[in-house]
Amino acid sequence: MTNPFEERDKKEQWISRRKFWMEAGMGIGGLALFDLLNTDKLLAADCSGSGPKVESPLTPKPPHYKARAKSVISLFMSGGVSHIDTFQYKPALEKYDRMPMEGKGEIKVRQGYPGPLMKSPFKFAQYGKNGTWVSEIFPNISSIVDDLAFIHSCVGTSNDHVISHYEWNTGSIQMGFPSVGSWVTYGLGSDNQNLPGFVVILDAKGGPYAGPPNWQNGFLPAAYQGTVFRSKGDPILDLSAPSQYMSAEQQRARLDQMNMLNQGFDDKYPGISELSARISSYELAYRMQACAPEAVDLSSEGDETKELYGLNDPVTASYGRQCLLARRLIERGVRFVQLMSGAYVSIEDTWDAHANIVSNHTQHAREVDKPIKGLITDLKRRGLLDETLVIWHSEFGRMPISQRGIGRDHNPGAMTVFMAGAGIEGGQHIGSSDDVGYQAEDQRITNHDVHATLLHLLGVDHKRLTYYFNGRNMRLTDVSGVLIPQIAGTATA
Amino acid sequence: MALGRKQWLTASLAAVGLVLFLVNGRGLRAQKVVAPEEALAVLKRCNQCHGATLQMSKLDLSTREGMLKGGEKGAAIIPGNAEGSALYRRISGLQTPAMPMPPVSKLSEQEIVLVKDWIDQGAKWPEVPAVTSASPALSNQTYPGGYRPRVITDQDRQWWAFQKAVHYPVPQVADARLNKNPIDAFVYKMLADKNLQPAAQADRRTLIRRAYLDLIGLLPPPEAVEKFVDDPAPDAYEKLIDRLLAMPGYGERWGRFWLDVVRYADSSGFEFDLNIDNAWRYRDYVIKSFNEDKPYNRFILEQIAGDELDRPTNDSLTATTYYRIGPRVRFREKNYPSYRFDYMDDMVRTTFQGFMGLSVNCARCHDHKFDPITRLDYYKSVAAFWGYVDYDQPLMPKPEVDAYNAKLKALAQEMTPLRQEIARIEKPYRDKQRADLIEAALKKYPADIQRAIRTPEAQRTTGQKLLVAQVIINPEDTDPDNLVADATSSAKARAAAKADQVFGVTYTGGAKLIKLNAADEARRAQLLTRIQQIEDRLPAPLPVADGVRDGDYRLSPDGLGDSHIPGTGRPDYGITCCFIPEPGKKFEVPPLYFAAKGEDLKSEASTFPVEPGFLTVLNGTVPSVAAHPPARADYSTSGRRRALAEAIASPDNPLTARVLINRVWGWHFGTGIVDTPGNFGRMGVLPSNPQLLDWLATEFVQRGWSVKEMQKLIMTSETYKMASAFSTEANLKADPTDVYLWRFPAHRLEAEIIRDITLNASGQLNTKMGGEPFFPAIPTSLRADQPRGIWELTKEDSSTWRRSVYAYIKRGLKYPMFEVFDEPDLNVTCERRVVSTVPTQALTLLNNEFTLMQAGFLAERVFQAAGNDQARQIETIYSIAFSRRPSDGEMRANLQFLAKQTASSNAKTALTGLAHVILNLNEFVYVK
Repeated sequence: MTNPFEERDKKEQWISRRKFWMEAGMGIGGLALFDLLNTDKLLAADCSGSGPKVESPLTPKPPHYKARAKSVISLFMSGGVSHIDTFQYKPALEKYDRMPMEGKGEIKVRQGYPGPLMKSPFKFAQYGKNGTWVSEIFPNISSIVDDLAFIHSCVGTSNDHVISHYEWNTGSIQMGFPSVGSWVTYGLGSDNQNLPGFVVILDAKGGPYAGPPNWQNGFLPAAYQGTVFRSKGDPILDLSAPSQYMSAEQQRARLDQMNMLNQGFDDKYPGISELSARISSYELAYRMQACAPEAVDLSSEGDETKELYGLNDPVTASYGRQCLLARRLIERGVRFVQLMSGAYVSIEDTWDAHANIVSNHTQHAREVDKPIKGLITDLKRRGLLDETLVIWHSEFGRMPISQRGIGRDHNPGAMTVFMAGAGIEGGQHIGSSDDVGYQAEDQRITNHDVHATLLHLLGVDHKRLTYYFNGRNMRLTDVSGVLIPQIAGTATA
Repeated sequence: MALGRKQWLTASLAAVGLVLFLVNGRGLRAQKVVAPEEALAVLKRCNQCHGATLQMSKLDLSTREGMLKGGEKGAAIIPGNAEGSALYRRISGLQTPAMPMPPVSKLSEQEIVLVKDWIDQGAKWPEVPAVTSASPALSNQTYPGGYRPRVITDQDRQWWAFQKAVHYPVPQVADARLNKNPIDAFVYKMLADKNLQPAAQADRRTLIRRAYLDLIGLLPPPEAVEKFVDDPAPDAYEKLIDRLLAMPGYGERWGRFWLDVVRYADSSGFEFDLNIDNAWRYRDYVIKSFNEDKPYNRFILEQIAGDELDRPTNDSLTATTYYRIGPRVRFREKNYPSYRFDYMDDMVRTTFQGFMGLSVNCARCHDHKFDPITRLDYYKSVAAFWGYVDYDQPLMPKPEVDAYNAKLKALAQEMTPLRQEIARIEKPYRDKQRADLIEAALKKYPADIQRAIRTPEAQRTTGQKLLVAQVIINPEDTDPDNLVADATSSAKARAAAKADQVFGVTYTGGAKLIKLNAADEARRAQLLTRIQQIEDRLPAPLPVADGVRDGDYRLSPDGLGDSHIPGTGRPDYGITCCFIPEPGKKFEVPPLYFAAKGEDLKSEASTFPVEPGFLTVLNGTVPSVAAHPPARADYSTSGRRRALAEAIASPDNPLTARVLINRVWGWHFGTGIVDTPGNFGRMGVLPSNPQLLDWLATEFVQRGWSVKEMQKLIMTSETYKMASAFSTEANLKADPTDVYLWRFPAHRLEAEIIRDITLNASGQLNTKMGGEPFFPAIPTSLRADQPRGIWELTKEDSSTWRRSVYAYIKRGLKYPMFEVFDEPDLNVTCERRVVSTVPTQALTLLNNEFTLMQAGFLAERVFQAAGNDQARQIETIYSIAFSRRPSDGEMRANLQFLAKQTASSNAKTALTGLAHVILNLNEFVYVK
């Protein structure tokens, strides 16, 4: 038998190098340093990302195979949207309204005392070429259903908000796994080094259920963490210094000094690319200072556009701004943007309609309905929809039975997700739930399937996007994930 | 398609870094010479289906003959032509169906390239047959439910990490200087073997800065530097190390490393991110243990079984907080029995990866895919923990605890009649209020619900009954808050939650006083005053550790949100006694069933109960028993955790000492001898210097598991004292990442230490040790990102300028500066910290008020020492930050900077600017 130690040279060297480069996150040597004397030019340098390239952990990487989308906009509705009050019309619920739900096995609710079935309090009508059912709370989205592909058979494993948030946003029901946006930017980098590659924009009232772990990098390097764009002040934390401490000119002079001194230090330590990487990270930071505010400055947007996103209506203005920012960011090459609807400052500020489905869903649907239509319309007319995947989702659906007569409890058994863009055929309906919407029936689809499909649309094979951690190669989809054929199509891997 | 693949391969190689062939950063790929063993190690996976035991498609890939002969579909390989070889085409996806098929995991890009190169190079076989065990054979024993564990073979036991460490004879090297410390002999022998030229010793200024940062995580004071540089004593350096090891800062620095291993945090995470009240006591215990140089085997025993020792101490009880600092839901736990199984998984993962470098947790759902660990081993390990329940261990002698409890009881008895009288007075009012509330609440409901409620019970339809049960949650409950239930939870849970500020943002309720008539009001006020007076006499709460003990988890008291109401899935175990075992009686741990996950208790009980036991592969190596209860009559406990701890802490355990000493090495050098400190199994990396590792491990045990002694040995070695600013082309080419330590590896400091030395340089460090955590200042707006759990909003001032190890660690909201500087994931044991370099780090040090403020203080400090003389200012700041004098070039450049900045603003701002520059430099945040 071979002495395993003899394999040392070979195996270790490459693992240790692999680790080294992965962690440095940087290309090797030859770092493009900026012409520091031409800082004015740099400032003016287009924030579109087409300027001089610099090696960074977010340097764009080619996909495994031809991508159908370059970027992703995730519209996450925190709290649990009722599928049976939005996109799944269930006549049986009208028929059996206020009668016990029977023949569905043990009924497990989150908050106790399972009630009788409850019909949707909202009116449904059919829209588009395929007669898509939409409830009255989405009067705008109903007019663009032919751009949307609906998946009605998504299932989760838990009726706990936070665990389900992790499930859909990180692939794992445990805390601490890298989020989808982290995996995507780890795999593909981002097209604009002047902005973060993965941006999260929260509901103006605050964070969703579970907060930051929804967009954390877990065991992936910090380069891939989601950056929250703040709704007030600087879009990014520490993007500028408090003015009493340092002027812009002083900052520039200090940066130049740092650069010079760092170069001298670097010269004494050949072969340590982290050092030069750190030098260029300061230049990237400097550019970000100019480019992030530009990206969130809506003054150049026309009135018609603002109206389109609902910026003129106080109810829709907030999510409208999030949607408009999302367009601006992906336009500038940001890889992954997630827009949260729902702030867990109180449950009524989320989609968590335990107490009253009418008041809760009417309000939240109104907040997002027009902006979402605005976003998709705008992307389409700018030719961006073809290269962008828009996904609308939540952590679970809601119960067909009532909670305290007029609310609905959590239901991980079924929910609706819709996708648009990326060349996906609109107006189609994938999967279905049972007659009352309690359990997904036809073509059950898990978070792993959705994530595998999402990566696929970006040209990434979910089984090949791995990162070594604690003894194994980890994946976003763990050991599961089947492409959704109607979405993934026949595009070959 | 093929082209796309190739592009991807090249790109992913550049990104992921199989870089033996990347020359000077140009991305051209040259072939690497692949050792046969390396390729076969990759292809081993194929043998599960195409190996000695099973030949699907009649294909046997365990021999070269088998590969050449091929199976039903022809030859698997054409040596020299990978593109034409079916084996390569299948694993790369060029030909479908792609291999390997699930469940065998796909080959990584590197592995595919490796196999390709190997075939292209002629598919050579090793001269001595390599370890190509086919998929392991299954045992003949079938357990109820059909489980057959894999057989653990002699070959499995021969894995290096399962072999007892050898105290290798110290090699002799030519240079007498290198024969003084055995570490050097091992390291330099390796360097000689590899033709690597070692660096000379670093200068004293570098050495003292390195030693300070390394051992206490602070900068050496300039006076200490000068004294050391001028010290003629031959043992000046040794004495320096002794002094540093004795400083309290040592525990603060090295305890922090340990906190990474045990996934320490001050809050539990998940929805409510509840505060772990006494987590900080455990943090202090860890710091104290390092400072006291507690023998590591004792340190293990205390954390895993501190309450099960013959003579537990406050320290050992506090150590068991180890169990409670992991991620925990802490809400409706009794409604979700699966949570307990997840917590056990957390304990198995943390304990085995942390102490023994084994991913036993990978065997939760199946036998381990790579290591000889069976699923039964996993459940035996869970069984070792299965008896524990969360328990607040009082940190006082028993008589004092008894007296305290007696006093509480007495006061409660005094209060009871008063409260009863209040209840009597309030009853009629409450009854009326309840009726009114129902009436009022009902009006909010649709007519059909009102009708259902008004319908006499006997006449209600089934649907109506369900409705009524929902709307009027508990008619017996007279608490108006509970009448029409809050949408979130019971009033009790809300009250408890409020105490923990769970609902801090929204919940403003609480027990409202009901309105009474004047006479009743007066009487009630009187009673309330008396109650208040009694409450004022309540003794201060006893200090407790958030520890554990054995008990019956099925009877643990209801926690937050736990609800008995139907539909929530709460299991009824049908038992009534007892949560805490009676002293003197043997404690029977509740049964644990093989393969159970808490998802369906009934069907899960159809397998078989599992008794605790140590890993099968170590049978006969480590003496172990199922349980080792303490020799005490006053405490009943199973002793299972102690038995596990003793097996882990045994000097015969081939892993424990190696794993720890490897971590210590890695914490000193930035990289361990084994580069995967949490994984010594087959997925881990082999040791770069196995003899050195073994020698250190055995020496460590022989020296009574003293970490400090080993550190002194390491730090006084020539290896440790080598310069980092050194290189030769040959060295860089042969070993670019310094695996064999031909120079001291310069490495970036961790987030916490960067913050600490910033305060240190500015002279503002508040050195208060221990106690409750402080909350570093964050922007107010950040609080809304995660409003649950606690976070006190503070300002930048000296109360928060303590060492970072004392900062509150909130799972749901990381402190931004730590987060950008690679604070590890807080939920699983940290194998090693990643060092990444990103612009947001630069933004933090450039623009965050913290750094800017400290730059001002640093400037002030420099001004105090150097006055207006700008050259002296520069010298002073260099001596503070870098423990050295500036070079002529640096002096010139900085003088220019100061002159220019003075011209455009003033001398003070210029100096602050320079201080800010210094705090951002690579040299500041790197140990060199």
